[in-house]
Amino acid sequence: MENIWEKIYSMTALSDIIADPRFLVMYALAFLLLYLGIKKEFEPLLLVPIAFGVLIANFPGGGMGVLGADGQGLVHYMKDGVMVAKNVYEMPLPEIAHDLGLMNYIYYALIKSGLLPPIIFMGVGALTDFGPMLRNLKLAIFGAGAQFGIFAVLLVASQFFTMQEAGSLAIIGGADGPTAIFTTLKLAPHLLGPIAIAAYSYMALVPVIIPLVVKLTCSKKELMINMKEQDKLYPNKQEFKNMRVLKIVFPIAVTTIVAIIVPDAVALVGMLMFGNLIKEIGANTSRLFEAASNGIMNAATIFLGLSVGATMTVEAFLNWTTIGIVAGGFLAFGFSIFGGIMLVKIMNLFTKKKINPLVGATGLSAVPMASRVANDIALKYDPKNHVLNYCMSSNVAGVIGSAVAAGILISFLG
Amino acid sequence: MENFIYALELMGIGMGTVFVVLILVIELGKLLILLVNKVAPEEAKPQAKAAAPAAVTPNVAQAITQAVNMITGGKGKVEKIEKQ
Repeated sequence: MENIWEKIYSMTALSDIIADPRFLVMYALAFLLLYLGIKKEFEPLLLVPIAFGVLIANFPGGGMGVLGADGQGLVHYMKDGVMVAKNVYEMPLPEIAHDLGLMNYIYYALIKSGLLPPIIFMGVGALTDFGPMLRNLKLAIFGAGAQFGIFAVLLVASQFFTMQEAGSLAIIGGADGPTAIFTTLKLAPHLLGPIAIAAYSYMALVPVIIPLVVKLTCSKKELMINMKEQDKLYPNKQEFKNMRVLKIVFPIAVTTIVAIIVPDAVALVGMLMFGNLIKEIGANTSRLFEAASNGIMNAATIFLGLSVGATMTVEAFLNWTTIGIVAGGFLAFGFSIFGGIMLVKIMNLFTKKKINPLVGATGLSAVPMASRVANDIALKYDPKNHVLNYCMSSNVAGVIGSAVAAGILISFLG
Repeated sequence: MENFIYALELMGIGMGTVFVVLILVIELGKLLILLVNKVAPEEAKPQAKAAAPAAVTPNVAQAITQAVNMITGGKGKVEKIEKQ
């Protein structure tokens, strides 16, 4: 009889959880992320699948955790009671599905192959309007200033990590989940889980981080700079006679230019601009636009979120490297916002037309959340100061900027 | 230290390239605006002809004139009658 109870006990996950209480930390992390996503509404479309992925990956015996490959591409797992080591890149997908389970199949087929990040970029492009950027072209330069955090943290991280790992960590400063995943897959795939979680968590925390950095670096006077009044004082002479045609030509031209200068960024920028192009063409490609912005984007987000979350197993998460990534990622994020703000401050020293530093703070890639947060901050200081359209210019440029920065990291460190 | 110097170089190259690309995007945008304005300005929408004021029949005009005369004691003068 005692033997039966022992068998039942060992059949459940309880025995493993009690034997290794670190699982409880992972459940706490999953619950925290779920709370932030559901209750606090921080990027729920991403945080909820990621958090649920973390949760289901950490039930011993469930087989839903993604097995990370080592430097030689080997994964170690139990098969018929024997520990085996196989090169995961040489395993056919059906064998991965059979031996390692559903989540590993999704991960190695869709994520590790590098398929989903560009697909998501296509969806992002289909949901992006370059109109505000074209109307305020000069402000797009702040999309470059806000990439400062990437390279600043690369400097620091180079002292603690290999250059490839440092590059993957630093790209969190671009505030772009798909870009972070894409870069990490190329440079340091073994760090994908913690880097993706850190990138998406900080993106979700944009409403907290931007106000914090802005408070530390900007004066009330600067935050009250009214961009519309500045426009009246120093009007923009640009005239738009056919915005529709302009919006169609723009993604084609940008793809061409970026492809020539940074070919490694084409997978991201090219797909972003393709998504945007099928949106701007209008009725003739509306079916493609619908697919890219709804069906494909949503399915990709589910698979990406769940499987990235599932990489966060006890072994992969609870170690010093991850803690370094979490800390470094925060610094990268903060420095990027700081870099954008500083560029505005420097430009304000030399120009008559003053720019609200919030426009620099939104040079991040987190569209449109960063702009919405910046607009809320501006409205707190002056209820008539709507900076959303101006921030969207640097914000959208930030998507291009972070993809270019990723291309440079991949090309030099890959 | 070697890594640090390499990272420093990458910082220069990286930030430089990002700035160059975005400056190019900005200049390209300006060029495209000029080109589109020149080559493909939006076709002017044909303006709807303002509806001609409906003619006021002589009977109505006479009635209005008589009414104005009556109210103003003959001092008022009807110069124009328009239908809105």
